Amino acid sequence: MKKIKVALAGQPNCGKSTIFNMVSGIEQHIANYPGVTVDKKVGFFKYEEYKVEMVDLPGTYSFSSYSLEERTAKEFIIDESPDIIVNVIDASNLKRNLYLTFQLLEIGIPVIVVLNMMDVAKRRGIEVDSKKIAFMLHCPVIEAIGSRGVGGEEVMKSIIATHENRENYEEFKINYEELEPHISLIEKEFEGTTSNLKKRWQAIKVLEGDTTIIERLKQNIPNIEETAKQEERIFHERYDRDFPSFLASVRYESADIICHKSLVEKNIKKETWTDKADKILLNRYLAIPILIFIMFLVYEISIVWGYKLTDYTWPLLAAIKNFVVDILPSADIIDVPMITDFGIWMVNSANALMNYIPIFFILFALIAIMEDVGYMPRMAFILDRVFRKFGLHGQSTLPLVLGGAMVGGCAVPGVMATKGIADERARMATILTVPYMNCLAKVPFYTLILGAFFKPDMALMMFFISTVTLFIALIVAKIFTSTILKTRETAPFLMELPPYHIPTFKGVIIRATQRVWVYIKKVVTIVLAVAIILFAMLQFPGLSVESQAKYDAQVETMLQKFDKKLETNSYYKEIDTREEVSSLLNYYDAYRAKRMVATSKESAKAVDEEYLERSAIYYKFLKPKSDKDAKTINKNLRKLSKERKRILRNVKNEKIENSLLGMTGKFVEPVTQYAGFDWKINVAFLSSFAARESAVATLGSIYENNKADGMRAEEAMALNSGYTPLHAIAIIIFMILTPPCIATMIVVKIQAGSYRWMIFAIFFPVILGIIISSLVFSLGSSYQWSGIEAMSYFYFTVVLLALILGLFPHRSKNWKGGIEIQNNNV
Amino acid sequence: MKKTLDMVQKGRRARVRGLCAKGKLLHKLLDMGFVNNVEIEVIREAPLFDPMELKIHNYHLSVRRSEAHLIEIEEQE
Repeated sequence: MKKIKVALAGQPNCGKSTIFNMVSGIEQHIANYPGVTVDKKVGFFKYEEYKVEMVDLPGTYSFSSYSLEERTAKEFIIDESPDIIVNVIDASNLKRNLYLTFQLLEIGIPVIVVLNMMDVAKRRGIEVDSKKIAFMLHCPVIEAIGSRGVGGEEVMKSIIATHENRENYEEFKINYEELEPHISLIEKEFEGTTSNLKKRWQAIKVLEGDTTIIERLKQNIPNIEETAKQEERIFHERYDRDFPSFLASVRYESADIICHKSLVEKNIKKETWTDKADKILLNRYLAIPILIFIMFLVYEISIVWGYKLTDYTWPLLAAIKNFVVDILPSADIIDVPMITDFGIWMVNSANALMNYIPIFFILFALIAIMEDVGYMPRMAFILDRVFRKFGLHGQSTLPLVLGGAMVGGCAVPGVMATKGIADERARMATILTVPYMNCLAKVPFYTLILGAFFKPDMALMMFFISTVTLFIALIVAKIFTSTILKTRETAPFLMELPPYHIPTFKGVIIRATQRVWVYIKKVVTIVLAVAIILFAMLQFPGLSVESQAKYDAQVETMLQKFDKKLETNSYYKEIDTREEVSSLLNYYDAYRAKRMVATSKESAKAVDEEYLERSAIYYKFLKPKSDKDAKTINKNLRKLSKERKRILRNVKNEKIENSLLGMTGKFVEPVTQYAGFDWKINVAFLSSFAARESAVATLGSIYENNKADGMRAEEAMALNSGYTPLHAIAIIIFMILTPPCIATMIVVKIQAGSYRWMIFAIFFPVILGIIISSLVFSLGSSYQWSGIEAMSYFYFTVVLLALILGLFPHRSKNWKGGIEIQNNNV
Repeated sequence: MKKTLDMVQKGRRARVRGLCAKGKLLHKLLDMGFVNNVEIEVIREAPLFDPMELKIHNYHLSVRRSEAHLIEIEEQE
């Protein structure tokens, strides 16, 4: 089968991805271009005897080297030399789109133009004569309506036809008039060098000052840059104009000519649909309330409803867990085999993350809808002024909201949503600040501590916690952008507000699925690797010989008691050996675990039947009915199970205390004591790094009251820990500031592009958290603040600081040549 | 004094006369269509007065005032 490599190019908002989805079907995959974080989408399709590989280049307005996307797109063309370029253009916005088309035609690779959104153009009263355009550009022009699947077949046919006819390809030339002598002069420089790229194109690029091309040419022609500068001087003296502006003018003028000859615009003054919508959505007084409402809706649908949806998906995950527990070797009273412990730990870690997939799917689908509709740039337009003050960008709105501007969010989709931010410095700052927002999984932790120490003021405290995060994020952003990110590249703010479009169902689903898949592939795999390390750190070195003997003795007494009570029982022969008791105990506990997750009557019945089949006699002990002897066994069995759980918990706690993680917790105690943290809190924080949820679990198990089992974790903690509310405030402040879970760190690494940023994103908040909570704790102890007082002081200091920093003058420009007063004629 | 784009009122039109920019910003402005003599209409300001929305080459573009300040114009009646 013969192969054809096709590059799909086009400006942003031209409907390129709908064309891509239409032509390439579902056989597509996303990777990154080598060395950069720009998405590389590749799709495949077969047509006649050809296999066509289609690469979706990043959407760019131009083909120079001034943005990462443009550089990436151009490097792809140079390095991978595709056979054909398919250029998608928006028929309703022909002129600006043709600006890119001319640059693509100049490359010298056969181009096929796809006139997309013909329906939108028609609706706006624009009639496009595609034959005339084809005639003027010397290339095939295909009319298409990507959203309705019109034109796909023709695009495929045209690719094959153009490929088969490539020998007759006629090079396209714009006449650059006054520039032509300079182009030929540069072309002469190339004599003697070999390259598969067209000389004229390279010459034009050199005159444009295109760094990518110049760097490559320098290897063979070292003085190329000087020659070009020389030419520019001559040109400037003669015509008082510069190459870049001259080229742009000629291209726009040529586009204008084509528009004039091939377009008929009827109702040019008529208000479009988009104009009408924008009058409301961007209205001075309505814009912000509407934006808040939309954000609230996104939050409500994805996080709140999505969370409810997990009620239905969780039993599925629990079933997986039970299945794994079933196939792993079972415990012998308190001797749980390492492999069993490990298996359960891994399933738990994976489930904690998989549990969020419904939320992510909804969220990613909603983001895709907002992107396709065209609301994203409008959001940036509305709020840019606020965020710019803190070194962020209007486009930071969505990531921050997803990260948890309201009660709780998740930093993972938040950081992932930073991809579109055009300004590099603002993008980095957003990546690093989103993790400070209020993580949904921190909420149970706060509830636990507030429940233990601030029962009457819970609502006020929760308000403080959930609103202070945004101010902290803004302060951190301001600090970063004026220090470590100061020299980062920023981009001028020139953002298109495209016409509104109705998104296609297929496009939204494909995008949401792809993003969820990226999450599963990258995040879950690495998190599992870290889970293994954490498991080892919690297991080793394990119990000492003396402790082991102590617990063994406890088990012995427990079993003897059980044995003695049931000696006279008629079922005694079923349970007169240790093995039998052990397997009965496992049977009993496994049954209870399964019944717990059975949500309906039918599934509960199925569990009953399963266990009846496994062992009819044991089943009698589960459901003794009126059998008196079985009832006695049931009663004692329950006691035994409870007793075993108690011993296991003690074993676990002692193991944690002696483990590497416990030692680490103790090791940092000299530092953390200033914030009032003992090693137990330290361990909880350390383990929370794997996933937030485990902080609550760890604290819960450390403080569980062994005597009174009915006590809730909050009460137990308030009673047993010896903490004051001030301790609690220090813990809460640290939790507000501490680094996010590993999952977030992985996405930070993906989006920021290096492990160094990831490590920075871990340690900066930890140090900041320790310093601030120590400060609050020490001030609080010496001035005898109550918990509420300490929190209020902290809150208002943060808010005040944010306001002051917001008033500070900001350096919003970081590009060269911004405020030159000298005039360059265009 | 030369007039720049940030001074143009909502609903008014202007023609580009020059760009006070170099390098990256110049290229970006040119790519987005700020070439000589092109007509620009100021559609509206953002709710917080900055950035502003323009119509240029029959499409809509938002620009911060700091960038608009670099574009010299001549107002149209």
